[in-house]
Amino acid sequence: MQEKPGLKKLAAGVAVALVGALALTAGAVAKVSGPASPSASSAELARAQANCRSAEIGVAAPLTGPAAFLGQEQLSWAQFAVRQFNQSRRTNFRLVQGDTQLSASLARTVARQFVGRRNIMGVVGPSTSQAVISGAGLFEAASLAAVSPSATRIDLTNGQFRTFFRVVPNDSGQARSIVAYSVDTIKATRAVVVDSQDDYSTALAAGLQSAFRARNVQVDRESVSNTTTDFSTIATRVSADAQVVVFATQTPAAAQALSDQLLSQGKRAVVFGTDGAFSPDEFKPRNGFVSGFAPDIKASRTARSLVAAYNRFSRNRTFGTFGPPAYMSATVLMTAINAACRDGRATRAEVTRFVRITRLASILGGTIRFTARGDLTDPDWFVFKVTNGTYETVG
Amino acid sequence: MDWTTFIQLTVNGLTLGSVYALIALGYSMVYGILKLLNFAHGEVFMVGAFIGWGVLNLLGGAVDPRVPVWLLITLMTAAAMLGAGLLGVVIERFAYRPLRNAPRIAPLISALGVSFFLQNSVLILYGANFKTYDTFTLVDPFSGIQLGGVNVWIIRIVVFVSAIAMMLGLFALVRYSRLGKAMRATSFDREAASMMGIDVDKVIVKTFFIGSALAGAAGVLVGLVFGQINHFMGFNYGLKGFTAAVIGGIGSIPGAMFGGLFIGLAEAYSAGYISSVFQDLIVFSLLVVVLLVRPSGLFGRATIQKV
Repeated sequence: MQEKPGLKKLAAGVAVALVGALALTAGAVAKVSGPASPSASSAELARAQANCRSAEIGVAAPLTGPAAFLGQEQLSWAQFAVRQFNQSRRTNFRLVQGDTQLSASLARTVARQFVGRRNIMGVVGPSTSQAVISGAGLFEAASLAAVSPSATRIDLTNGQFRTFFRVVPNDSGQARSIVAYSVDTIKATRAVVVDSQDDYSTALAAGLQSAFRARNVQVDRESVSNTTTDFSTIATRVSADAQVVVFATQTPAAAQALSDQLLSQGKRAVVFGTDGAFSPDEFKPRNGFVSGFAPDIKASRTARSLVAAYNRFSRNRTFGTFGPPAYMSATVLMTAINAACRDGRATRAEVTRFVRITRLASILGGTIRFTARGDLTDPDWFVFKVTNGTYETVG
Repeated sequence: MDWTTFIQLTVNGLTLGSVYALIALGYSMVYGILKLLNFAHGEVFMVGAFIGWGVLNLLGGAVDPRVPVWLLITLMTAAAMLGAGLLGVVIERFAYRPLRNAPRIAPLISALGVSFFLQNSVLILYGANFKTYDTFTLVDPFSGIQLGGVNVWIIRIVVFVSAIAMMLGLFALVRYSRLGKAMRATSFDREAASMMGIDVDKVIVKTFFIGSALAGAAGVLVGLVFGQINHFMGFNYGLKGFTAAVIGGIGSIPGAMFGGLFIGLAEAYSAGYISSVFQDLIVFSLLVVVLLVRPSGLFGRATIQKV
């Protein structure tokens, strides 16, 4: 009896499939019936190698909510940094977004997610001080480096979070610079300090209050919820002879609303927004000031080509001082991961060690180097005068 | 504290209170007729504010408006009222009507769902950044009247007068018109009203339209007077409006009006004379005190329940 050639091929195919299936089953059985757990070192090695092949960087920022303007700007600059780095170094870094809004509980949830996602080797952020307080403990427990582009509260770098770093100066310098400008240039003899009832602003407001007192300026303290839109009563409480109202807020629109209400009630005090109020789109009083932890790189000659590249990347999206530090945070992390991956494998702890010894030229000017506690070695604050939405560096 | 401060705080409180009152009316009307706490009402107010902002930009924005300012504000308010009113009708039709005979918890959950849906829809459509009415560019901040050494900005006067006019209009509508009579009958006994030939569904739809339209107008007024709007503003204002409705006696129109002004003034005086830190504490303490003394609110009637 002669077999048909088609049938022969089918039989051969079935045989190959059977052998394949048997091999797979044998492999699976071997895996199940092998040692109770594979040796820890081989698993760790595989993990460390995988870390280098598909490293991810988390971005913990307020992507929605009242401070979304800063989170979106930071995300955009972090994306830009990753694209540039990947193109120039032929790496394959990816970003993972985590929306902390202005909520401590959301920040903790994001931190948990980042810690649990094993390919994340570093975090750009958290952006706000309260988010750092909520999440940095978890990052530290997982040896995960967090490099914040905007959290400025002083005590974040008092040693409590050993894997936390920031590429911006802390608030001790901010309070000093705002008070110095208010007293020496605005000639303020009476000031009002307003906080917005969160970790960032209450600490900064306390620092401002004592700095004003140290310069013999009469200072009143006010407090308003960070969800308030009606600032008319706060404006009413501002004394008619106060020259400056320093508003420690992370919501530029709130600073604008306070400025409007002061104007409509005939108060002569100008609003001096802290770094969280820096937004040419949302804080644009007829006359006011805002403090910033970074210079406006749009005006910098050395950053001209970078700004042009960013404008192409973002299709001319406007930006202030929040984005460029996020670029630096991401670059610090990618450089550290690359360094850790020189031998083809890296752990989070290794990356943190490399972040700690960072020495990187900054697009904000100077060099990024960290102190033992994660602060910049050479911090600097800037003061901007705001006239109908135009920001000009004055101090 | 001097008289100037007192007058300024009173002006602040009346402006804010009239907005709360407009929102409270929506809660009160819907509760009066359906015994439903429409927790999506704050979001309808927020959508109204965004519609007003959209019209403002469509007509050239605050810097360069294509029509006179008075016409611009009228168009913004009218569009917001129409849009919010229609939104209220849609919410009633798709979120509440199918649950009209369900246990009372079901429409409540549905209302919360609608609230989140609207909030996130606006977030997706308009983004997370605050939007500005830029009213200070539109209307000179120094225009207005002098009252005891205080400059009362013209926009505050517009907000207060228009809110009071709308409230009085609604009061007259409910008191003297056929629709008002049908509303009152439906509120009193829905089944009996239906047997008397009243189209209850129509009355409910119209109630939702009117209540939501007032919330839409309140949204524009808030945008005008405080300058900024955002997608989560509905929660705070909705909560205060609801508190005003409860203090006044939920289901009572004069009660909602009084409750709104009461809450607005209480907030302004407590923030002005004590501290803004305690303003919410004081407002909600007042709510507790009022409910302890008069559980059905200041203008509410005690209901007799058959046991």
